[in-house]
Order: sequence, then C-alpha cells, then structure tokens
Amino acid sequence: MSTSNNTQSLPRRFGRLRRFFQEVPLLGWLLGALTAVLAEQFVGLDLAHLVELPRIPVLFGFENALKKPELIPGTVLYVLLVYLAPALLVARLLQLPSNRLAGFLAGRWPAVSIVLHLALLYAVLHIWSDINDYRMIVVKITLIAVMLTLSLNVINGYMGEFSCSHPGFMALGAYAGSVVTIVLFTNSSMYGKALLPPAIGPYLYPLALIVGGCAAAVGALAVAIPSFRTRGDYLAIISLAFTFIVKSLIENLEIVGGPRGMRGQPDWSNLPTVFVCTVVCVAVINNFVRSTYGLALNAVRDNEMAADAMTINTQRTKMIAFLFAAFWAGVAGVLFAHVLRYVNPGTFGLQQLAEVLAMMYFGGLNSVYGSIVGAVSINLLSEMLRPLEIWKWIFIPLLLILVMIFRPTGLIAFRDFDPVRLIQPKGRPKSNAQS
Amino acid sequence: MRKMVIVSAVLLTGILMVTGAFAQKAATLKIGINAEITGDIPKVGEATKFAAQMYVEDVNKAGGIEVGGKKYLLELAVEDNEAKAESAAKAATKLVTVDEVIAIVGPQASKQAVPAGEVSNNYKTPMITGWSTNPNTTKDRPYVFRACFLDDFQGPALSIFAKDEYKFTKAAVLYDVASDYPKGLAEFFKKDWEKKNGPGSVVAYESFTTKDTDFSSQLTKIINSGAEFLFTPQYYNEVPLIVQQAKQLGWKKPILGSDSWASDELVKLCGKDCLGSYFVSHYASAGAKGATKEFIDRYKAKFGNIPDDVAALTWDAIGLIGQGIKNAGKITGDIKKDREAVRNAIAGIKNFPGITGTITFPPNSGDPVKCANIVKINDKGEFEFYKTACP
Repeated sequence: MSTSNNTQSLPRRFGRLRRFFQEVPLLGWLLGALTAVLAEQFVGLDLAHLVELPRIPVLFGFENALKKPELIPGTVLYVLLVYLAPALLVARLLQLPSNRLAGFLAGRWPAVSIVLHLALLYAVLHIWSDINDYRMIVVKITLIAVMLTLSLNVINGYMGEFSCSHPGFMALGAYAGSVVTIVLFTNSSMYGKALLPPAIGPYLYPLALIVGGCAAAVGALAVAIPSFRTRGDYLAIISLAFTFIVKSLIENLEIVGGPRGMRGQPDWSNLPTVFVCTVVCVAVINNFVRSTYGLALNAVRDNEMAADAMTINTQRTKMIAFLFAAFWAGVAGVLFAHVLRYVNPGTFGLQQLAEVLAMMYFGGLNSVYGSIVGAVSINLLSEMLRPLEIWKWIFIPLLLILVMIFRPTGLIAFRDFDPVRLIQPKGRPKSNAQS
Repeated sequence: MRKMVIVSAVLLTGILMVTGAFAQKAATLKIGINAEITGDIPKVGEATKFAAQMYVEDVNKAGGIEVGGKKYLLELAVEDNEAKAESAAKAATKLVTVDEVIAIVGPQASKQAVPAGEVSNNYKTPMITGWSTNPNTTKDRPYVFRACFLDDFQGPALSIFAKDEYKFTKAAVLYDVASDYPKGLAEFFKKDWEKKNGPGSVVAYESFTTKDTDFSSQLTKIINSGAEFLFTPQYYNEVPLIVQQAKQLGWKKPILGSDSWASDELVKLCGKDCLGSYFVSHYASAGAKGATKEFIDRYKAKFGNIPDDVAALTWDAIGLIGQGIKNAGKITGDIKKDREAVRNAIAGIKNFPGITGTITFPPNSGDPVKCANIVKINDKGEFEFYKTACP
C-alpha cells in the first residue's frame, strides 16, 4: 500500500512543480536565464570560492564532478545557487509582467517580439561565454553543428533520402570560403599579398560565406542529379562516394595545401557572426520546410509516384532540396574553418558524417526542434563528458541506442516549429491560444 | 511542500560542511596534456599520458622543480582530443583558460597539433608537441615547439643510410597519397635521392589511398621495376600489410621505413616478415644505453609495455618544459608573465640531454636540431639501435 502511494506521489509532486511554472512564457524564461548568467558574471567567482571551488565551473560543473569527486557537493551547490535558483525565481516572479509584455508585443508587432527574444537569447549566450573562452568555442562549434544538423534534416528527414554527402558539402564550403578570405584579405605564404585591404575584410565576410555556400550547392548537383533515379541504399552509396571524391580531390589539389591543409584564415567567426548565421539558417530552413516546397518534400518522401501524380515536379523538388541543404552546409563549413583557422581534408571524413547523422537521428527526423535539440545535446554532452575519455564513447552511443529503441524517429520528431506561437504569452484562458 | 524545504535546507548545510573539509592549497604548477586518447590512434594518447605521468611523479618525488629558490610540485591536466581537429582546439582552449596551465604537451598528430598550436600561440602559452612533423605546426608561432625532427630531414637521413650501407642506386617508394605525412616524406626522399643518384633513380614511385588493403598491383610494378630497395613511409597498421604482400609476391630485397613504423604493434601484426628491416626513428628501445635505457626499464616496469617513440618524445617534450620552468628564473604567480618567461626559457635551451638525442632550439624557431637514429628490427622483433645519420 505504502509503495504504491510513493510511486504515485512522485509524479504528482513533479506535476505540481510543473504547474507552478507552467504559465511562465518564453520571455520569462529568457529573463530568468539572463539573471542567472548575470549573477554568475558578478558574484560567480566569489561564490565559487565560498563553496571551495578553485574557479567557476565551466560547463555546469561536469568537469569537476568527473575529475575530482570531492568537489561534487560544492559544484551542485554552485549550480543550484547561480543557475537554478535565480532563473526559476526570476522567471516565476516576472511571470505576470513578462506575460503582459509578451501578449502586448505578440498582438501588435510579432516581429519586434521575435527580435527581442533573439536579443535576449544572444545576451544570455554572450554573457555566459564571456566568462571563459572555452565556453566561447564550445558555443560556436555547437551553433555550427545546429546549422549542419538542420540542413541534413532537410534531405534525410523532410525528403526521406539517406544522404551521406554532408561532410563533402561542408568541405567544399570550408575550402571555398577560406580561399576567398585568404586570397582577398590576408597576407599569406600560400597566395601572397592580400588583394584588398584587410580592414574591409570583416564587412565582406558574408560574401565569403555565400561563396562557400554556393560552392557546396554547385557540388550538390553531383548528388542531386543521380538522385532522380535512385533511392534508399543506392543514393546513400552515391552520396558517400561524393564525400570521398571531395576528400580525395582536396588531398590532391596542392594549390589548397593538399593533405597538409590550409592555415591562416582570419579570425572572423566571432560569436555575433555565428549566432546571426545560425538564426538566419534556422529561420530560412524553417520557412522553407513549412512552405509548399516543404510539403512537396514530405510528399516525395511518403510516395514519390503519388506525389508525381499530384502534379509535384519531383525532380525539381529534389534538386531544390539538395542544393538548398548543401548551401547551408557550405556556410557552416566556412564558419567552421574560420573558427579553427585551419582546415584539412581529413576533418571531413566518415567521423564527421557519423557525428552529424547521430545528432540528427538523436534529435528527431523531420523537425527543426529536433535538429536544434540533437545538435546542442550531443555537443554539450560530448563536451561535458570529456573527462571520461574512452567511457564517453560507450555512454553516448548507448544513449543513442536507447533513443532508437524507445523513440525510433528521434527525441522530437515530426514537430512543427512555429516561432510566432513560441513567443505567445502563456496561461491566458483558451480564448487567446486557440484563435 | 514544507517537508521538502526542510529536507533541502538540511542537505545544503550538510553539503557546505563537507566542502569545507576539502580546502587545500600548495605551490603547484599545472602542465596540460592534449592527447589523442580516443579516436583513430589511442595508443599514441596512452603513451603520451603514461610518459607524462611518469615524469611528473619523478619530479614530485624529488620534491618538485626548484625555481628561484622555491620548490614547485607539478600537476597534470589531461584532456582527450578524440583525434579530431576541432576537439583539439577546444581542449587547448580549455587547458589554457580553464585549467590555467603553464605549458601544454601535445597534441601529437599534425591534424590536431596545427589548430591546437594556433590556440596556444594566440593565448601566449608554450606548447610542445612530441610527434607532429607538419611544418605548419610551429611556423610563425613563437610559442609552439616540437621535440622531434621534421619530415624533410628524414628523407635525406634515409638516403644517406641506403647509400653508405648498401651502395644502392635504384629506389622504389610506396606511399599513401591521401595522407599528409607519408606523402611529404615520400616527396622529400625522392628529391634527395634523385639529387644524389641522378634523375630517374627512383625507379618506382607508387601510391595508394588511406584504408586501401590490397597493394598487389603497386607492388608488382615495384618488383618489375628493378628497384634495389623499397621505402614505405607508412603507419604501423599499414606496414604489415605492405610487407607481407610484398614477400608473398616474391620481394626479397630490403624494406626501409620512417619513424611512423615505431610501434610495438608493428611486429605483433607483421610477424616474421618485418624482421631485418630498417627505419629512421627518434629513438630505439633495444640496445639503448644510459638515460634512455633507464627510461625504458622504468616505463616497462610501470606500464607493462616497451615505450614507443611517442612515449620517448613526450618524455623529452615535458622534460623541455621542466627545463624551461627551471630556467625561467622566477614564478611570479601571474600566469601570463610566467608563461612568457617559460616560453623564453624554452626557446633558449641549448644541448638539452633528451633520450631521443641532444636537443637545441635554433634562434627564432621551434624546430630542434638533432640527429636521426637508424633502427633495425632484430631477429627477436625488437627495435635495435643501429647507427645515427646526421645529414
């Protein structure tokens, strides 16, 4: 009797906790997060010393917990006091004003509201990563992984083809973008003096991003055209071949450094740039998959012949999807090359492919949410579990297997991502939400 | 609800009390290890970690490194770079900004060492790679050093050896065109050999691509070309395939290799076929004397296997850092100043008695001046020191 009582009370307690916070809108959560990172900025170090930590725990204290177990209590306390308590408290306290503000903005200028949300999100990321450059590079690589995963989802999730060409697209983008920035704006030993004054370089960096994306898109033709006639395993093999062709091509092109790689990209992939690119990428891809093109992709996935009969030009649809996805993979490649400031063909091999695929399937097929969740969680997990060394590569694949058993299409699959609904206030009686 | 509040309050006080018990501070300096512990080449990471641990234990047993009249204990901060470029950059950033190390050892493979070198140089933190031979790693980077000799040096060393030892004039090369290291080595060797023996003296110059496992067509060409020896600058996992297939096809002439042969695994995988071959190496485990022998014996007693060249080079790399710290004169406690002092001290090191040879850093360069060792795989399958070659 008592056990059944216990098992019931736990979910009920969580339910109560959830109900306590359920009327907090996204705006409120962002404000809460902002408070938490601000708290860390101002009192983080003192607090860390107070709980006997040598420094601020970088990734929520995982490195402390795994390397020095004696620091676990202090770390838990720190995370509670700096992140959880302020975030939850402020989010709950500001529930009413933030709901009002969200409602006011969402009703009149939804665009302003979205910009406000994004600005808050950026502020949170910026302040959080400002504490430590390691956080900065983790955030940047994670955002780039979001772009990659999302663009792969367009092909593998929305169109339902199994494409393995993403490392190839990324490599094309990375190299094309690097050549542009190095030739035009950098005095390098490979290509001599800069053709344009380096001072204007950062303003023309978008040009390099677009060139990188376009190079990848042109390369994608090599996969898109065979995809008219092949599906499933065969397309997978063709796209895999494409990745190897690109890798071999670069390895044999001495002009871009061959297998030695290419060094000396300017340091222009800073956090604002990467953040803006990611936001644009998410927005554009989200609009794309929710447009008629996106619906056409789904139709092609579910039954190509039926789609054809329903007047969908399947060839054109496939072509657009491949080129579009490749473009964003290429942009991600350029950003990646300028974060590391070194590229070599070995980076864009099977391992890279496995990682992007893992992030996508973990997060969920056919879902923008899923891609974001998958990329962020796999990246952060991989960073946080770094001290485990070899055990990490048992833990993360195990997690993947579990996800595949219990949610075969990924954590958050087939979910519509509607930014306008996200920014709505919460808790108003149904009249508002259902209209 | 109230019960929960009370319980959590009690827990928090408990936690605070427990953490209080762990306060400790001592004069320690942190050295970062950025190694390939997981991924393609885990043996390399393992050897790096083991050698560094042994060095640090030694130093701490002796009471620490004495700088400016004060003794400092060493502490390692080990990061796994998963044999990935971006992960190596992240690990280097973490070591510099989170662990606040005074200097970094590794990464060992060039793919990781080039981006990690960029990070270390940007943050003005001395970094010494043991094994990376890509010129890009140290080029124009005052804070990055290496403990090994460069690729362009191994080619001439080998051609001198083949010339002096056998009076050979016709060479064959089989290399992986898709991999930076073998490709560079093959080119350097070809250039030097043809300079010494006239154009066309490399009678077969055959290539393959990483992960190929069948070399019969290339080897047939090599056998038919009339070459007197085969040079194959491949990694320890590929060499056995090449050597075994060559023997099956009837090749009986010598096979020479590069420092990438030097791993215990080579003889395990290759068996009898590799015995009697020579390769250029940073060091040889059998027939070693003095400090090298002492290092090998202790490493073997501690970790159960004979140290490979990565372990030896790591030992020298961390030894160079130790020497740099010693020569820095004073540790101020300001990590930025200390890193700069250590960097300057390392750059000024002359005739450092390393176990892979005597190391001197020329002015304005992170590439050491040292001699190459020619190593023979003897009948027992051990790597035996044969002679030195100094081009």
